[in-house]
Amino acid sequence: MSETKPLYSKRPEWSDVVPVEQYEIVNPVAPIFYSEQYKDATNYFRAITKMGEKSPRVLELTESIIRQNPAHYTAWQYRYETLCATNASLADELKLMDEIAIKHLKTYQVWHHRRLLLTTLRKPKPELEFIKKVLHEDTKNYHTWSYRQWLLAHFGADGASINKDGEEEYDLADLWEGELDFVDSMLNQDVRNNSAWHHRFFVVWGCGIREGEQDRERVFKRELIYVKQNISLAPNNPSAWNYLRGILKSTKTPLSSVSTFVLPYTRPRDPTASRDIVDLENPPPSEGADLPSVQAVEFLADILEEKGSESDINQAVELWKSLATELDTIRRKYWEHRIRDAHLKLKASK
Amino acid sequence: MNTTLPALSRIGHANHCKRCLTGLPVSQTDMDAQRLALVFYCIGGLDLLGMIQDIPEVDRRAWKDWIWAQFTNGPSGSGFRPSPFMTGQATTDDLVVDQTTAYDAPHIIMTYTALLSLAILRDDFSQLNRQGVVEFIRRSQNDDGSFSTVPGRNESDLRTLYCAFAISSMLNDWSGIDIAKALRFVSSCRTYEGGYGQSPFCEAQGEVVALSQMSSRINLAIGGTTYIAVASLSLASSAMGGKEILTPEEKEETIHWLVSKQAVTGGFCGRTGKEADACYCFWCGAALKILGAGKFVDRYSMVEFLGRCQFKYGGIAKAPGESADPYHTYLSLAAISMYPPALDEGSVSPKVKQSWTSFSPLDPVLNAREETVDWIRRHVPQPSHR
Ligand SMILES: [Zn+2]
Repeated sequence: MSETKPLYSKRPEWSDVVPVEQYEIVNPVAPIFYSEQYKDATNYFRAITKMGEKSPRVLELTESIIRQNPAHYTAWQYRYETLCATNASLADELKLMDEIAIKHLKTYQVWHHRRLLLTTLRKPKPELEFIKKVLHEDTKNYHTWSYRQWLLAHFGADGASINKDGEEEYDLADLWEGELDFVDSMLNQDVRNNSAWHHRFFVVWGCGIREGEQDRERVFKRELIYVKQNISLAPNNPSAWNYLRGILKSTKTPLSSVSTFVLPYTRPRDPTASRDIVDLENPPPSEGADLPSVQAVEFLADILEEKGSESDINQAVELWKSLATELDTIRRKYWEHRIRDAHLKLKASK
Repeated sequence: MNTTLPALSRIGHANHCKRCLTGLPVSQTDMDAQRLALVFYCIGGLDLLGMIQDIPEVDRRAWKDWIWAQFTNGPSGSGFRPSPFMTGQATTDDLVVDQTTAYDAPHIIMTYTALLSLAILRDDFSQLNRQGVVEFIRRSQNDDGSFSTVPGRNESDLRTLYCAFAISSMLNDWSGIDIAKALRFVSSCRTYEGGYGQSPFCEAQGEVVALSQMSSRINLAIGGTTYIAVASLSLASSAMGGKEILTPEEKEETIHWLVSKQAVTGGFCGRTGKEADACYCFWCGAALKILGAGKFVDRYSMVEFLGRCQFKYGGIAKAPGESADPYHTYLSLAAISMYPPALDEGSVSPKVKQSWTSFSPLDPVLNAREETVDWIRRHVPQPSHR
């Protein structure tokens, strides 16, 4: 790459350009001791932007800078402008970016550039495969997940697949088709991956209702069973409990609708409980689970608070006390606040 | 109470900041386009440690001069650029130092960090082109209410919105912002968990992953998406005469989300189910403070965690065993400033106690010492707006 190539100042094909050194005052603060290569490339880049040249050699120059400093947002910007001005193949650019993205997964610019390319290329489906591959490297990468959500929201909306000439460019339903299976495979790998749970929420609840998902009652039931099964496998997984709360809230379903499910998770294991009867609606905690689950106790207290009678509140207070003094002591002051708050509300209602 | 709390190595952390201000190794080349933010974390760190007054006047002068040298008046308004990374030296045919090209433009996040740094250095802001900055903010706002880092670039998220709000608050001039539109963008970033994501549909997080983040390098961000949202709402609320923006239920839900980010190790994590990281002690801690819920933070476990994040050669790392950087150093010190632990002299030595408690109060909304914020209020706005 750029390390093995000669400096721009030594290349005959750049001899027509007068390099522009960086201007720095006499006493700079936090100066960076640049490498010779970086200094050389940016000298030519400053010259190029000043001249306004947009040509194929600028693509080579900006690539060299980006590889040395992927956070150089001006090099990215100028590169994109040059791609457009020279009618370069954006498909080739995307291919190059596949390699650069994997090297610099945590750099914002890498993903921003990709969005720009896709907005013009309008071929979202292969991107989903690419993202899947990248998430394999880093399963919780925020940029990668955000990019997937952007892609689906941008290209997956009603009518988004129709171009200016009224032609369908890609199959909209096809774009969404594998999404739930994809989330499921991510959660099978790691049920505590909050990014995957968030993505599931986005797919099912966050972006309109798609073909095949119109029966919301059925979708709700399906999700309820899904999240309960996952809680039963890992009862101390806050991401799954948050998802459960999320779907109840977004369907305006009272928390108490799941009390039967929650209850066994709030107590120490009951060795006498029969595991023979399989109740799909209320899967019991898996064998060997660490009980009681803090999230379950918290959930049950919220159910009781929502019900709101004096005896409910008193039971909730007992649960909060157990959180404060034994199960979740780091949040002791928060649980004490919940106790005070509930007492106040009770008093006010009398 | 545990007696294993080590002293906060104040001198070591100050030296870390000073070292970075002197120069950065080649491995930090990716700081080139965000150098001013790094400078802010170093100067800010020295300020939180109460050591800025010990810096010789000539150095403080030089720091101010360098920051002002990044101020530029361009076609899209005025503000600070990250560094002279795109600024060319005068060539033979130029009479003066080459002035701004469109590619040497101000950057909204850098403008926020520059104003804070200059206030820490007690600059009088007589060089500030206030109208130009307001113009810059106006041109940075997008149709969806969000803000671009640099006008015309559609790279935007909640961070830039916060910086636009913070700058307007510092100037006490909101004429560059369509507040209602901006607030709609903020609420579109709210998630089912009760936190906020970087942009609509995104997962809630305590921290914005850096502008650039490489495991072995410095991770820089003006972040904490949920913090950013909460602080922005607080700034907007003040601008609108104290109007409450969140409903009581939303507020409770966000408090719950934030409180649940304190891990058993004492540190805070940025997203549900992730490892604790020193910087989230600030992002989550400050958001809680703004929401009036600072009392829920377990201070002792938090500082115990931060104590373990100290790097043996100075500076604070994101987690125990990692190497330090100015970003985590500053944010950890800011977290301690908000939550100095109540230490019992029976269990720690007076020296240890003093090391953790000699901090002055921090304003969680602008992320600066209260004294610095007071200086901002008196010097940054146009005289007629003070
Ligand atoms: Zn961090």
